[in-house]
Amino acid sequence: MRQAFAVAAVLCVALTTPRAHAGAEAAEEWLQRMAGALASLNYEGLFTHSTGEQSETMRIIHRVEGGRSQERLVSLDGSGREIVRTPEEIHFYMPDRRVVLVEPRSDDGSLLKALPVPGPQLEALYTLEVRGGQKLLGRAVRALEIRPRDTYRYGYRLWLDEETAMPLRSEVVDGDGKAVETIHFTRLETRGHIPPQRLEPAVDATGFQWIRAGKRAEPMVASGGWRPRRMPPGFRLVGSRMQVMPGVPVPVHHLIFSDGFASVSVFIEPGAAKGPAPSESTRAGSANTFSTQVRGHMITAVGEVPAATVRDIATSLAPVQGEASSAAPATVPRDR
Amino acid sequence: MANFPPVDGSTEPDEPRDDHGRPASGVEQSDLELVRRVQRGERGAFDLLVLRYQHRVIKLVARLLRDPSEAEDVAQEAFVKAYRALGSFRGDSAFYTWLYRIAVNTARNTMASRQRRPLEYEGNLNESEQSAVESRMRHMDTPEATLLSDEIHSTVNRAIGDLPEDLRTAIVLREVEGMSYEEIAEAMECPVGTVRSRIFRAREAIDRSLKPLLD
Amino acid sequence: MKEQIREQMSALLDGELAASEVGLLVRRMERDDELKRAFSNYVLAGEALRSPGGVLASAGFAARVGAAIDSGAPLPAAQPAPERGPLRWKRPLVATAVAAGAALAAVLLVRPEGEDTRLFAERAAAPAQTSISALPVGGSSPTPAQSQRLAGYLVTHGQYATPLGRRNVWSSALATDPGIARVTYESVETP
Repeated sequence: MRQAFAVAAVLCVALTTPRAHAGAEAAEEWLQRMAGALASLNYEGLFTHSTGEQSETMRIIHRVEGGRSQERLVSLDGSGREIVRTPEEIHFYMPDRRVVLVEPRSDDGSLLKALPVPGPQLEALYTLEVRGGQKLLGRAVRALEIRPRDTYRYGYRLWLDEETAMPLRSEVVDGDGKAVETIHFTRLETRGHIPPQRLEPAVDATGFQWIRAGKRAEPMVASGGWRPRRMPPGFRLVGSRMQVMPGVPVPVHHLIFSDGFASVSVFIEPGAAKGPAPSESTRAGSANTFSTQVRGHMITAVGEVPAATVRDIATSLAPVQGEASSAAPATVPRDR
Repeated sequence: MANFPPVDGSTEPDEPRDDHGRPASGVEQSDLELVRRVQRGERGAFDLLVLRYQHRVIKLVARLLRDPSEAEDVAQEAFVKAYRALGSFRGDSAFYTWLYRIAVNTARNTMASRQRRPLEYEGNLNESEQSAVESRMRHMDTPEATLLSDEIHSTVNRAIGDLPEDLRTAIVLREVEGMSYEEIAEAMECPVGTVRSRIFRAREAIDRSLKPLLD
Repeated sequence: MKEQIREQMSALLDGELAASEVGLLVRRMERDDELKRAFSNYVLAGEALRSPGGVLASAGFAARVGAAIDSGAPLPAAQPAPERGPLRWKRPLVATAVAAGAALAAVLLVRPEGEDTRLFAERAAAPAQTSISALPVGGSSPTPAQSQRLAGYLVTHGQYATPLGRRNVWSSALATDPGIARVTYESVETP
């Protein structure tokens, strides 16, 4: 409660100060409040997840223990898939394939990690605006709009509960202003305590194939021999590691790029198929992926950004040293 | 962090509540039983599910489409899809919840294929907008069909009005209030068997009055 | 006897019929149109009570559904819109020279069924440029192995996204596969 008053006081100051950045600061405050709420509250809810073509009902349960997040996400009326994030691992149950993917948890558990960094860097890429006085599902909400300044990233429309800053509705929006992905809560409860049993999966995984990733990955300092030659504006390399992915036999470089709000992962698998293979673009909701072959490696970029952005990032990677391989497809032009 | 009341209420007014905390209602159990039979090859059981939900699915789809005259075609497609997908229905949600989603997705796909955006969150329609959509739907029909629909409603209303009070109460408590036989028995202070009989006789009376209309 | 069966139908509608009696009743109803008609009227009574003057299915609807199922006809695929103006979506990609500062060509993404293409907005001029100089080969649904691999990437990536981004990405990973649209390009020019 005190927290809410403190924030309200800051907002009052922000609103009465006739500074050009006042609006952006209030919006950034709300953005941080929201991120903090998502990371630190115990909550459980039902939401509708919609892309242009389909919508599904899902349940989410989020609990915090010892400063670490755990959560469970279940598809209720579609695939029956579940993701459970325990303190140590991530389990992805796919009953439609009778498979469970298991990955070690990579974050250090800090709740404040991966929160958007406010400030001029973010403002250079996005305009933020917040409006009050709206209602959603009977509760007072702030409408927070995050509009990208270019088409390399998506925009967001968020309706945040006034009291808790939880997003009751969120839309990922493309360059035409069309919602690419919508999450809309039909039921949401925050509680003091969520028993750990709530995180147990409903799927009976007897007889499933368990596919495990390798042991905990070692973070790397350098980008491990691959460097992006050109990047869409605002994206920087923020992390780099090696990982054994579930189902992939050789260790994979995993590079993480971020513009402070959206992030893109690039996975570099050595020893890709011989001969030229077509590049591929896939989309699932607001997540786009792009795969392409470079110098005998399969490069896959994944991120909550438009398709062309993951394509740009994937195709901009090249090994730091080394000549053009003779096995490279003829259509790849020589380096300039 | 202080508790606050759950953010309740969906945006689609008759979105079936999928509350896994409560035991399944009689109708949900009955649906599951029918689904199991269909999964075992009893085609007839699916006909019953269609009969039970046809009006609701058509009504739902009519609200989502801009052109309500297509509602029956799209609803038919949704039912067929449901039949074909029934193998993958695992029963961890109510059948109608699952069917509801299929109908919504079918309607959206229809809209998308026509390059049109479906009405999002049509649940925000208020009463008068709602009935405007519905009357638009009726007027898309032929004059004969519209007349028939109105006649059906007035026939049913009249038949219900003519019922003895105990039959009328029983069927209203069941159909409008959604109470179980046991709850109705408690409310009307009579045995469950009597409730069952009263509701049956009320329906028979309505069926008799509808027969000449729909033959 | 007839009356007993009809009373069972009424109880079944309310979910109050013993499971053991359901089987026989279903089989009886399957063979008897009169019983089906009466059941249909019982349902009608409830609908009329709940929404007076509301939309109702027309008389032969359930029978039509049954016929459609029995005929095993393929479900109508999403039909393209009838001709109502120039087919502006189906422009092929334009090859552009790779030149610093040149605006990116518009990118076409093709849905798996080949229609409902979407034209991305022209990019703002920006220093980093690549271009695609190939026509899409066509779309298709990913194979199970591919969607599994993709799901793995989505799960891993989700760990590094913001809490909001993670929820979006993981929800998409949970969604049923047809939500994934896939495009294959023949070749990609890399600068």
